[in-house]
Amino acid sequence: MKILIIEDEKELVGAIKKFLEPEGFLCETAFSYLEAEDSLSSYNYDIIILDLTLPGGNGLDLIRLIKEMNRKAGLLIVSAKNSLDDKIKGLDMGADDYITKPFHLAELNSRIKSLARRRHFEGSTELIFNEIKINTDSNEVLVNEKILDLTKKEFEILLYFVVNRNKVITRESIAEHVWGDNISYADNFDFIYSHIKNIRRKIETNNGRNYLHNIYGLGYKFSDK
Amino acid sequence: MRLLQKTNRTYFLISGTVFIIAGVVFFFVIGFFFKDQLNEKLFHDIRNIRRSIEKNGILPDYYPFIEIKEVTRQPERSFKIIDTLIFNAFEKRNIPFRQISLIRIINGKDYFIAARDTLLEEDDLLEVIAIVTGSVFILLLVSLYFINRKLSLKLWQPFYKTLNEIKEFSYDKPGFKLSSDGQLYEFTELNKTLEKLTQKVISDYQTLKRFAEDASHEIQTPLAVIQTKLETLMQYPELKKEQAELINSAYVYTLRISKLTKTLLLLTKIANDQFPEKNTINLSELLIEKIKMFEDQIAEKALTLNKEIEPDCIFDTNFFLTESLIINLIGNAVKHNIKNGIINIKLEKNHLEISNSGEPLPVNASKLFERFYKTDKSSDSPGLGLSIISEICKLNKWNVNYLYEDNLHKVVVNF
Repeated sequence: MKILIIEDEKELVGAIKKFLEPEGFLCETAFSYLEAEDSLSSYNYDIIILDLTLPGGNGLDLIRLIKEMNRKAGLLIVSAKNSLDDKIKGLDMGADDYITKPFHLAELNSRIKSLARRRHFEGSTELIFNEIKINTDSNEVLVNEKILDLTKKEFEILLYFVVNRNKVITRESIAEHVWGDNISYADNFDFIYSHIKNIRRKIETNNGRNYLHNIYGLGYKFSDK
Repeated sequence: MRLLQKTNRTYFLISGTVFIIAGVVFFFVIGFFFKDQLNEKLFHDIRNIRRSIEKNGILPDYYPFIEIKEVTRQPERSFKIIDTLIFNAFEKRNIPFRQISLIRIINGKDYFIAARDTLLEEDDLLEVIAIVTGSVFILLLVSLYFINRKLSLKLWQPFYKTLNEIKEFSYDKPGFKLSSDGQLYEFTELNKTLEKLTQKVISDYQTLKRFAEDASHEIQTPLAVIQTKLETLMQYPELKKEQAELINSAYVYTLRISKLTKTLLLLTKIANDQFPEKNTINLSELLIEKIKMFEDQIAEKALTLNKEIEPDCIFDTNFFLTESLIINLIGNAVKHNIKNGIINIKLEKNHLEISNSGEPLPVNASKLFERFYKTDKSSDSPGLGLSIISEICKLNKWNVNYLYEDNLHKVVVNF
């Protein structure tokens, strides 16, 4: 799957590329408005990540161009401005999703994959990890072909893990993904731990393996290694 | 004291003093001239009497004005000016007279000759002067008062106009202008200076606001780089525990700055009134939805939640801000609660009350809504929650209050 990252902050692009490439994404980059224009008119992309504040032009104008040249591409807008205005404008103009800087790489990855699923690029809405199957249309999880009875939050956490398999995911990133902005009021993340404990227990009752590993004080990693 | 009062008072004091001095001077000057004239007249009379005696030998007698007596014993020659009282049969009282007298030998005989005339009575003089100066004084004051009042109202009218206009001035409302009618130099200058001053205040305020907004934006990109680099670093499989802890601590603090700048940006935007769009909001539903978001944290602290929410409380206001308000209110009540504590949430048509158990505040409650105010200095939170609440309420002209009652911290919003 081909991704175009339009973002002027090279350091940020580097980190994004490094995170996404092991996922099987082919990442190309454009650091300015002109470079982006050039890439967009020459190649087709499946997903475009666009920073709205670009040197040499307004990112919103690029959306128009993307809609003309790469109509099928999923478009994810990145902005330093946490303004509803920009968000609404961007989404109105045809962007598929919107993420505010600074973001968690795991969150970006999850948004891109959700975009890819919605556009059926993988041909299916089913995510498979060994004996675990997640259907993102029906929000059902099967372990060894048996339905796993998860709460809504547990489902979201498990999906986040599976999408970000083999990556270290911080508790903060999980918390923000599931609870949103409300999480800034949390004293600690013990309540995440209890959800994770439940997920582990439920998978084990269905004879699934424990793929959830604690990584020191950082967070968790969902992996079969 | 008003300007007119002050001028009138000054006029009154100054003219009063001037008139009193003038009265005293009049009194002495008039008295002096009168006596001088009287003396001259009496000398003249005496000369006439002497001439008349020498010529005709007649001794005229118009007592008490002229008195001539033959005196036998010859005293030393004398000339006297005295003031004396002489009984007046008509008025039946003593009347003051000035008398000039001398003794002369005329035709071989000694004569005592006295010419007299009534003296001006000082009481009468004083009375006349007092009446005249007093009435002139009053006349002057009355006319001054009316002239002043008319003139003041007219002259100072542009000043009061400017004063009323400047009262309406607010530093966050650009485009402030004074309606100058430009007739009097002083007021035109005043208006010009005021306009310059207000424009400076407005532009400084705008710069400050823009600075806060720009700074917050500019910080977000480097923060994004730091955060993503740290997240990349975390992915290395051969990380040791100690290294992981270092990364984690840097990561946690990075997230904290990022939250802080986002919150400051929100506060700046509220102050800039950058949330103009209005939505119809069912506050009851929004409240229930947000309470659900806090379920886990409420369960974690084993808090007892009491809800009393009147259904379908509809408001026409900005959705994003109302959401922030609710999140901050509930978040505060959860965060500053104690284990096994209580949260009460009560919503009525025009009234939202959220209270939570907790120790009483060690300090003045009025400071609670200030930015960066923390009761516990070591706390992780920057102390911006309540100031967001108060800013959002201020923008919507809602009334927000904090009180401590029955061991409960209460925040009350009246819509």
